[in-house]
Amino acid sequence: MTTLIAKTVTKACVPIAILFSISLLLAGHNNPGGGFIGGVMFASAISLVYVVFGLDYIMSICNCKWEKFFALGLIISASTGFGAILFGHNFLRSTFMELHIPLIGEIELVSAGIFDIGVYFVVFGSILYIFKSTGDDE
Amino acid sequence: MYHNIPILLVAVPIFFAAITVFLRSRFKLQKALNTTVFAGLFIMSLALLLHVWENGIVVYEVGEWGKYGIILVADLLGSGMVVLSSFISMMAMIYGQDYMDKETALDTTFFPLFNIMVAGLNGIFLTGDLFNLFVFFEVLVMASCGLIVLTGRGDHTPMLYKIEAIFKYLVLNMFSIIVMLTAIASLYATVGTLNMADISVKLAQLSAAGTMPWHVYMIALMFIVVFGYKAAMFPLHFWLADVHPSAPAPIHAMLSGMVIKVGIYGILRIHYLIFPDVLFLTRPIILILSLVTIGVGAASAIGQYDLKRMLAYSSVSQIGYVLLGVGMGSVYTTTAALMYLVNHAMAKSMLFLATGETLYHAGTKDIRKMGGFIRTSPFLATIFLMGSMSIAGLPPMGGFIAKFVVFDSGLEAGFYAPVAIALLFAIFTLFYLFRTWMTIFWGELKEPENESDFIARSPTPQIKVALALLAVAVIFFGVYPEPLFALASEITAQLFDPQPYIDAVLGGQVR
Repeated sequence: MTTLIAKTVTKACVPIAILFSISLLLAGHNNPGGGFIGGVMFASAISLVYVVFGLDYIMSICNCKWEKFFALGLIISASTGFGAILFGHNFLRSTFMELHIPLIGEIELVSAGIFDIGVYFVVFGSILYIFKSTGDDE
Repeated sequence: MYHNIPILLVAVPIFFAAITVFLRSRFKLQKALNTTVFAGLFIMSLALLLHVWENGIVVYEVGEWGKYGIILVADLLGSGMVVLSSFISMMAMIYGQDYMDKETALDTTFFPLFNIMVAGLNGIFLTGDLFNLFVFFEVLVMASCGLIVLTGRGDHTPMLYKIEAIFKYLVLNMFSIIVMLTAIASLYATVGTLNMADISVKLAQLSAAGTMPWHVYMIALMFIVVFGYKAAMFPLHFWLADVHPSAPAPIHAMLSGMVIKVGIYGILRIHYLIFPDVLFLTRPIILILSLVTIGVGAASAIGQYDLKRMLAYSSVSQIGYVLLGVGMGSVYTTTAALMYLVNHAMAKSMLFLATGETLYHAGTKDIRKMGGFIRTSPFLATIFLMGSMSIAGLPPMGGFIAKFVVFDSGLEAGFYAPVAIALLFAIFTLFYLFRTWMTIFWGELKEPENESDFIARSPTPQIKVALALLAVAVIFFGVYPEPLFALASEITAQLFDPQPYIDAVLGGQVR
């Protein structure tokens, strides 16, 4: 798959796909989107890089331990739940805060957003870990 | 304080599954951390059981969404099962730290997956939501598949067989999951809720009005298929003898000790809470199939030369006795079934842990090549003998009380023929277990020139501690079964009258 066309298209597409996945992640909770599909989109963008540039080339640049991202996401999500217990509420109780920032306007901060970020990490970490370890053999 | 325990029992193992991924190469720390976590889970589950015993059912609303969200309900059945599974998983964890291969298991996926497996088990026993039950089933199955392919030191199964075994496990599980999902979806389409207590109330209203739709009976039978698959009931038992023996010993102990009991738990929970009107139909089915299960399991076990396979078929046979108690259906027989469940879980997991060590000791898994090991390892011989005595039902082990109560309750309820059949196959159990024990441990050493090798492959102190603690539990429930009997009677009373459960779940404030 390492043709010039594929490489050029990948270089153009992947940053856009990653940005779009982050926008999906942040749009979640109240609008269509969320951690799961954001994570899947991020994983598909990175796996496109793996397919086009090859496993060995990527490994020579950075040997990413994707399972660490999976664990990190799980810790973030679980901590969101435990955080609610610390404030005297039930596990995973959600809350939100209206924030006024000059020039930008009203922003709604939701605690479920942190949970979504954890889900995002879990999803792309696990998918890319599976891709990498199944592609790694021989 | 006590209010949060149900969710902690599920969330803490998940949290530590993530932590243990980061600590992969730091073996000493992993060992200490996981032992602490599992001991903590056991203490928490005991505290929960005592709290539920004294103050009634604990209901926990995850995210404070009331009955419309996911709820966790700790009644006596659920919290009792959690205590049992926490105890066995703690012992399997202590044992596994010395048993599993360091490079391929302990430094990679053993600790995270074991934590997730325990989270799945606790979730199944504590959830009050039907769909959530399905989700935790999946969590449990995925974690077990990852654990089956790991290797341990007494594990003489080639990797090819392991892959084949989990392929079977996954494909057959897919069938059972489709059946379960169809059943849940049909139930949701009928009553419009997934909360088990709520479904129970709505079906009771339909039944009282005489407008119970006929497909509710079908749904109840579909759940029998699902839980029968999990519990290895007769027509669905064939996967067990391939899948369970492929697992390394601690995982084998968890699978045969706790994971197949999940099916029994499901039958008790779903059919007594949601479908009490269909019990007239499901009880005879369970009764007849349980008798066939006992017979097929015992008859298959007699012909096996592979030790682990023999014990796997023995599990099939023994789960039949539990189902027999459930199927006979009176209050006393259900109490007996619960007692049998507890004693079998303890004795079988002990026997499997001892088996793993015995296979390592022998260097083979063929019974015919073993012999005379009582001289090289008297400790294993004692533990193995105690496990066999308990499974076969000899005093003073827990299995004797359990078998006695099952037969006594069956006679009292007037099921003479089923009890006679079960007694006949109890003699089979006695025969195949003691024949195996005598072949392995009595007689002359088959290879006297290798005696020093055998002695070098003796259990480590940590493994001895795990086995000894399980042995203490097995004897304790044999000589002093009253607390267990009182607990089982109380659980049965709650099962036959689910009104307190429903009140506890639906009685709270609507937010």
